[in-house]
Amino acid sequence: MIDFHTHTPSWRTKSWLGGVPFGADEFVAFMDSAGIEHALVLSHDGLFDATPETNDDLAAFVARHPDRLTGFGTVHPRKPDAADEVDRMLGRLGLRGLKLHPWLQGFSMHELALDPICEALAARGGILLSHDGTPPYSTAGQIAALARRHPTLPVVLGHGGLHDTWRESLALTVETDNLYLCICGTPPYAAREILARAPGHKVLFGTDAGLSDRKSQDYAVARVAEIDGWGITDAQRRAMLVDNPRALLAADR
Amino acid sequence: MIVDAHVRLGWGREVELSAWRLIGTMDELGIDKALVAPGERCLAYDNREGNELVSRAAAASGGRLIPYAVANPWRGPDAVDELRRARDGGARALAVDSVLQGFDLLDGLIDPLLEVAAEAGWPVYVRTGTPPSALPMPLASLARRYPQTPFIMGRSGATDFWIDAAPALRYAPNLYGDTCYAPWDTVLNELGRDPEIGPSRLVFSTDAPYTVPAAELRRVQDWPLDEHARGEVLGGTLLRLLG
Repeated sequence: MIDFHTHTPSWRTKSWLGGVPFGADEFVAFMDSAGIEHALVLSHDGLFDATPETNDDLAAFVARHPDRLTGFGTVHPRKPDAADEVDRMLGRLGLRGLKLHPWLQGFSMHELALDPICEALAARGGILLSHDGTPPYSTAGQIAALARRHPTLPVVLGHGGLHDTWRESLALTVETDNLYLCICGTPPYAAREILARAPGHKVLFGTDAGLSDRKSQDYAVARVAEIDGWGITDAQRRAMLVDNPRALLAADR
Repeated sequence: MIVDAHVRLGWGREVELSAWRLIGTMDELGIDKALVAPGERCLAYDNREGNELVSRAAAASGGRLIPYAVANPWRGPDAVDELRRARDGGARALAVDSVLQGFDLLDGLIDPLLEVAAEAGWPVYVRTGTPPSALPMPLASLARRYPQTPFIMGRSGATDFWIDAAPALRYAPNLYGDTCYAPWDTVLNELGRDPEIGPSRLVFSTDAPYTVPAAELRRVQDWPLDEHARGEVLGGTLLRLLG
């Protein structure tokens, strides 16, 4: 299975998202314990202070296990060199996409400063994954508006709308061609409904691993195990965990 | 004894749960008792039907199911009458969902219902989360207005207002956190080790039928706690709140 939503530890910032520090080897050991073959690792420090150094750190982390880990860096869209940094991330650093967290990073998806960033990302065949599920700045309607401005860029809703906006995330995934949805922290009844109603190739899964008080990432292991109780079909499970993330990562490369 | 602090019976937009199925799950998981509220439609609209449903289910359960009462506060005096009727039918607590019922926690609409809860000695369950009308901090302010009434912060602000759960619990000593959805190795650890909160201010719930109940129970059982503290979370605290 491919876990489409995990994080590095925070190395440079006092993150309230917390968690213990861990290395890439320890992270792969956690993945083995949960049956995860490949993980998308998203920036953590960069969500609080988006500097090129945080992308360098992320690239070094995933480079220890390039067959198991793929990195998504970040930028702050109001920085004048953000588009150049996206180009460097996907070029020299070998990262695969861009993570944005509009409410933590403090911007709106409607800001036009995002356009050159998305153009640079699309030109490199990258993927944009955004936090969603949290008003005021991280709702699917807002993220889909950006996706419509960049129709060749795959855009992933990183949390499937969480508890209170999942219906909006589902609806926008249905009506927006280049919008995908990652079930991650989404409650089980919503996950079941999303899998029943979203286009079959558009649903992904993530654990949000990396934020635990333990290197073993116990909550992430539990989230994988919990899928057995969702009441979904084997075909839905395979599409979400294997086929869909594999196809999305392979596209445009 | 394991007591589930919150389950909804009946049907909602995407879910459905019968008393028969709930009892089966409780037997399978070793859950002794559960507080049951009516499902979404009856919480929002047909309160009488919902209160009668959970009252009947409780009466037939041999003491395993404990009914919440519900009433939409927009019904004014009729809502107060409905709660008193539910109390006479065996209700032991009040369940509130400001999103489904369409009000703001601090707009005053709910206050007459809280007076009934105070008069009956009921704990009050309030569903929280990301909607502006269901945030943990306003709930803490509301709870402070009724210091003798225990309030349960349903879902503890899951997920992006988990960060408000600890400040809300510190601000209102009569507010209790809810374990459902909350990982022990992030959220519950933080609340449990806080000297102003601790495990005795947290109550276990499955929040069925929205969850995988076995996973909700397993998470609390996996949480490294001493057995006394675990017993408090799994039922001890809630049984005291129920009197």
